[in-house]
Amino acid sequence: MTTPSLDAFQVIADPSRRRMMHLLSKDSMTINALAKNFDMSRPAVSKHIKIMCSAGFISITDIGRERYCTLKQDGFQELQDFIDYFDKFWTNKLSKLQSILDDRSKK
Amino acid sequence: MQKEIKRTWHFKQSPKEVWEYLTKPELIEQWLMKNDFQPIVGHKFRFSFTSKPEGTYRDGVDCEVLEVKPFSKLSYSWNGGTKDGSRTFNSIVMWTLTPKGNETQLELQHNRFTVLEDLLTHSDGWNSCLKRFEEQINTIRNDNTKP
Repeated sequence: MTTPSLDAFQVIADPSRRRMMHLLSKDSMTINALAKNFDMSRPAVSKHIKIMCSAGFISITDIGRERYCTLKQDGFQELQDFIDYFDKFWTNKLSKLQSILDDRSKK
Repeated sequence: MQKEIKRTWHFKQSPKEVWEYLTKPELIEQWLMKNDFQPIVGHKFRFSFTSKPEGTYRDGVDCEVLEVKPFSKLSYSWNGGTKDGSRTFNSIVMWTLTPKGNETQLELQHNRFTVLEDLLTHSDGWNSCLKRFEEQINTIRNDNTKP
């Protein structure tokens, strides 16, 4: 099964994936344990997990026969970068405004 | 997680003077972007810019004036998107001017990003998921007031 590569925003747009991340926010879980919380096929759960994994929201560790999913910060960082982009934008613009106004008052 | 942009600047100039730089197209252009702004509620305008070749966002931002209270409050919508069209965002920019003697405190709020809305408001459990993350962000914040 091919896993579509989605950006952070597309990843969180899906309610099932958000619920999975919420469950994982409490503790790491095996894919099987995670799947029990959802009314969907095991391959469907696996697909969501792959998507979250490739976007950096979770990592998968093999312990014995089980695959454990753990929440990871990289994916969330992309969402924060979005806000930061505008934050920096305004900071730059406003400091420019400040210097324009200050120059004007000196004249 | 931070849900909005909220910053305050202090200007030695009067609210009237600062207001002019927020509402006169030729003055806005000096510090922000080329535009066809008019301080009339419902007026649709555009901030024009050419994004860098490597930039993520497409050229220009489409806006509509939402509120005009001379010398004290101004807000407009701020709608843009990525170059590849994979993501658009609507958001609101709000300016609040407060006189401090003859000087001005200018507050900017840039929020209600639709692209984040689902994440931030439509899922009750989501916030707890981001708790760990929040701590990290808070340490980067709170450095926003300029003399």
